Amino acid sequence: MNTQDVLAKMQELIGEQFAVDAEEITMETSFEEDLGADSVDLVELVMAMEEEFDIGEVEEDEVSELKTVGDCVNYLVNKMK
Amino acid sequence: MKIIIDAMGGDNAPGEIVKGALAAAASRPELEITLVGREAEVRAAMGGQAPTNVSVVNATEVIEICDDPAMAFKHKKDSSITVGLNLLKAGEGDAFVSAGSTGALLSAATLLVKRVKGIRRAAMCPVIPTAGGQAVLIDCGANAECTVEYLVQFAYLGSFYASHVLGIRNPRVGLLNIGAEPSKGDTLRLETWPVLQAAGERGEINFIGNIEAKEAIKGGCDVIVADGYSGNIMLKTIEGVGSYLGGEVKKLFLQSTKTKLAGLLVKSGLKAFKEQLNPDRIGGTAFLGISRPVIKAHGASGAQAIENAVYQAVKVAESGIIAEIEANIGKMKVQEGES
Repeated sequence: MNTQDVLAKMQELIGEQFAVDAEEITMETSFEEDLGADSVDLVELVMAMEEEFDIGEVEEDEVSELKTVGDCVNYLVNKMK
Repeated sequence: MKIIIDAMGGDNAPGEIVKGALAAAASRPELEITLVGREAEVRAAMGGQAPTNVSVVNATEVIEICDDPAMAFKHKKDSSITVGLNLLKAGEGDAFVSAGSTGALLSAATLLVKRVKGIRRAAMCPVIPTAGGQAVLIDCGANAECTVEYLVQFAYLGSFYASHVLGIRNPRVGLLNIGAEPSKGDTLRLETWPVLQAAGERGEINFIGNIEAKEAIKGGCDVIVADGYSGNIMLKTIEGVGSYLGGEVKKLFLQSTKTKLAGLLVKSGLKAFKEQLNPDRIGGTAFLGISRPVIKAHGASGAQAIENAVYQAVKVAESGIIAEIEANIGKMKVQEGES
């Protein structure tokens, strides 16, 4: 999966979870600042990512590094290489 | 009806939890109860009793208060909360009861059992005593910071709880505020009021407007809608005032022989009043918005509280409230520009 494909899937997941339009979500979108996400939201999103992309379990220290949509997309692209 | 109980959660686990579960199993033989926890400790607490409608599922870990609430269920996959909620998710039970860590239970319920699709946040809705009988206070601490959409959803959830679980017809919904007029309050309240008013005009909820805490306690509404921050302050104030007044009344009656005699005369009335304020009477608080019934009993629960929490879980599971929430989720969406 390339970066664009992963971003498109992430826009879908985030749009559904945070009730926002998928088109509004960019690589720069910050979970905390733009989407008002709390720690439970982030864990929920990470669990959805694990399931959707079949990447096994994301470690806790890795979760804390995922601040923006771009962080998630890059993490997923690297993980699926 | 199958009820799953976290045998290891709370200050008095597993002893009081098991005692309460056994009492519920004895008094309602049609119930099937699954106790989840360290099997040897749970069986020891059962003291050799082995009713046919009680089973034990082993879970070797316990989520402690010091564990990170958002991650505890991931760190402790074999904890009583994680195992119990996975059983609920798998359909091995109709409801889950726990007196364990509120934050961990809420996170685990949200992440494992999931919210009803479209519900933005699950909320805690204790039933509080009022001069009118009782009222649902939603939220009381699960969500310290809220948006208009959260409060609007809480209004519907609380209304469904009052009608389906408490049997109140056309429950009156009030928005907790610092004044009754629509112009009162902070931005959140000012923006929420018109959305609730519109829902009321459509006949979807019986919104009666803003309500001050003192009017709510006097029985001014059946559902008090609040963000978790102010709802928690209201709840704790009620608990504190109740305890303070109880102590003062007791002191008053113990002042002299005459007052002691007077105290004897009103003893049964006072006892009934005290019982109204007894949190063990109800047992726990439902997490509304989760896709299966989850009941949080308070951390200091004794056997009576757990027994009543089991009955409350049965009531919630039988009430059809979750199907009602699912059927009405479209009405709870806040359209852009509405607030």
